[in-house]
Amino acid sequence: MMNTPIDQALSTTRRGFLQLGLMGTATLALGSTVATLTGCSSPLEKNSEYKFLQANDREFFAALIPVVLNKGFPGELAHDEAIKRTLLALDDLIYTLQYHNRIQMRQLFDALSMAPIRVVAGASWASWKDMSHEQINDFLIGWRDSFIQPKRNGYVALSKLIGICWYAQPESFVSTGYPGPPIKIPTPVSNKSNITYKTSTTSAEHS
Amino acid sequence: MAKKVFEEIRGIPDPILEGISNGWITHDAGDYTEHATLEADVAIIGTGAGGGTTAEILAKAGLKVILIEEGPLKSSNDFKMDERQAYKDLYQENAGRMNKDGSMSILQGRCVGGTTVINWTSSFRTPEQTLQYWGENFGTKGVSKDEMAPWFEKMEQRLNIAPWAFAANENNAVLSRGADVLNIPWKVIPRNVAGCWNLGYCGTGCPTNAKQSMLVTTIPSAMDEGSQLLYSARAERLIMDNNKVTGIEITALDKGYRPTGVKLTVKATTVVLAAGGINGPAMMLRSGAPDPKSLIGKRTFLHPTTFSFASFEQEINPYYGAPQSIYSDHFQWDTVDGPVGYKLEVPPLHPALTSVLLMGHGEAQFEELNKLPNLSSMISLLRDGFNDDCQGGSIELASDGSAIIDYSINDYLWEGVKRTHLTMSELQFAAGAKSVRPAHTAAKWEKSWKASKAAINELSYSASRAMVGSAHVMGGMAMGEDLDRCVVDSNGKYHYLDNLYVIDGSVFPTSIGANPQLSIYGMSCRLATGLAEKLTGKKLS
Repeated sequence: MMNTPIDQALSTTRRGFLQLGLMGTATLALGSTVATLTGCSSPLEKNSEYKFLQANDREFFAALIPVVLNKGFPGELAHDEAIKRTLLALDDLIYTLQYHNRIQMRQLFDALSMAPIRVVAGASWASWKDMSHEQINDFLIGWRDSFIQPKRNGYVALSKLIGICWYAQPESFVSTGYPGPPIKIPTPVSNKSNITYKTSTTSAEHS
Repeated sequence: MAKKVFEEIRGIPDPILEGISNGWITHDAGDYTEHATLEADVAIIGTGAGGGTTAEILAKAGLKVILIEEGPLKSSNDFKMDERQAYKDLYQENAGRMNKDGSMSILQGRCVGGTTVINWTSSFRTPEQTLQYWGENFGTKGVSKDEMAPWFEKMEQRLNIAPWAFAANENNAVLSRGADVLNIPWKVIPRNVAGCWNLGYCGTGCPTNAKQSMLVTTIPSAMDEGSQLLYSARAERLIMDNNKVTGIEITALDKGYRPTGVKLTVKATTVVLAAGGINGPAMMLRSGAPDPKSLIGKRTFLHPTTFSFASFEQEINPYYGAPQSIYSDHFQWDTVDGPVGYKLEVPPLHPALTSVLLMGHGEAQFEELNKLPNLSSMISLLRDGFNDDCQGGSIELASDGSAIIDYSINDYLWEGVKRTHLTMSELQFAAGAKSVRPAHTAAKWEKSWKASKAAINELSYSASRAMVGSAHVMGGMAMGEDLDRCVVDSNGKYHYLDNLYVIDGSVFPTSIGANPQLSIYGMSCRLATGLAEKLTGKKLS
């Protein structure tokens, strides 16, 4: 698996973002400052089971997930397991986004992990894990109803991502009343042919 | 308490696994450990509605074909009606594809068979008004209603397209019932299915192979003729020599959709680009293909789609049953090129997708999702591209060469978005909804049409307030003889390269004004038949 540098945190992005914030635009101008950001080393922990989300990002999402999902969470799972499941799904999804939107996510997470930017962005100085549900909810509502489009984009992206990653989990169905899909029993295929093509791995994968 | 309609599905043969077992020539690019070159008469980039249709026609004409697909090869044994798995395996960017500023969600397929594997089966001929508009404004030839009719007929037969013969599910019945009350005409949607079980899982890959997608129709037929299929293979760029394409540089991808580091080369005397309206233009831009007027990737259309939710006393079970069976074009053609027209339909509501479409969070969203069995939704597809104030978006390249979809909803479209909210709300109340809420972050559930109308009129319409999505990517490689506006001629040949053809939805110079799959099939059938005749020198009946 080859990671592009953008999958990793970018110290220069932070600086760029901070400047934007301090210039008083109060904007999360999600984009454009990243072109120069190549060659940064990975702050992902070694042997992490995550491909994109760093410890800071996971802390951020772990705080947001129960607030965004409210009583829809944790469904049939224990709290910690439900957080983990959602984080892994988020990691997979964001890692699969194409470069441009992946950068936007990186910038957003990096910015919101810094207290001064958080304050400019309308959240608390406290770290995400120390914020109350009310504080986080106020932050979300502030972004949702903001006159600044990048904030609204941020709100929509965060709430959509968390929703799609959680409500696709079968253990969430109890909170929606969705009876779930039928069970699909695959039909095995016997190998009728003696011809060996370069497809052996394909067959193996499917069998 | 809502109940499952079907408990279990078993005994469905998997035509892809059987084909492979019988000797189809398939290559997983991710398996290659070093560079290799594959050859054919015709290389087709993309295996969706355009590529699949083209492959069958060319292969049956006796040409050696190789199909190249960026996504994985999945088939009915893999289709478990599980949103989690389906979005990961079958959708672009894990179903998280967005426009440049993140305000629009774009659902598009990414697997062998392309979007035809995950669409909702609605099959409409290209409206006559659209075809006429192309001829008049882009110099597109051979696409009048009469000229196109035989191609549509052929593909309707090939894919068993017919109006849905069974009762609409409750979710769709809301539309017809409301329309009857308001005296608005509606019709039954033609679907490309054979022996459909009426399950409701078209969007996660048909588990019974009833949907006549490319995966179970034209692709198997092309494979039976000896075509090759190369998957997990991204067409990185065209290799060009003067005015000819001599090959395609391929990036092999692993199961996590990242490059393995191995490059492949496909050589062919003719290349067909059928990679859709986003990845196709992006590949052309990466290739530095000749484009004197800088038109590649321009005029990208998405049928911006709006949503309105309604809550009912009775169970709707909006996740079960044929997802789309009723439509109305009542608001579509008041004028062709005036204020934007729209098509009314219904989306299936599975929980993850629904959470995205509702636009919200917290307790309010929980209360909505908690009543999913009683929820119904309606959608409006805005017909973009027919007005001077609606020239579509554009495809740009990120610094790693991937596509950026720069599409913004402007005031012309916002005016339409607001009208769609009003229309859908009125229809839902007319159908007996208890309460209605348009998908807008500031909208609340209203209990009457009067209250809803007043509330919608007070809403602010701008990006990331109203939910706007897309499941239809069109344009980017406009077809016509007007060189100031088009890059592909009326036979599908790229204007500036001798042996490159574009055969998919990217050639449409505007949006369609209807779910585009049959438009792509019909157009592809016409273009591919012409290409086959040119390459073989034989007249095809």
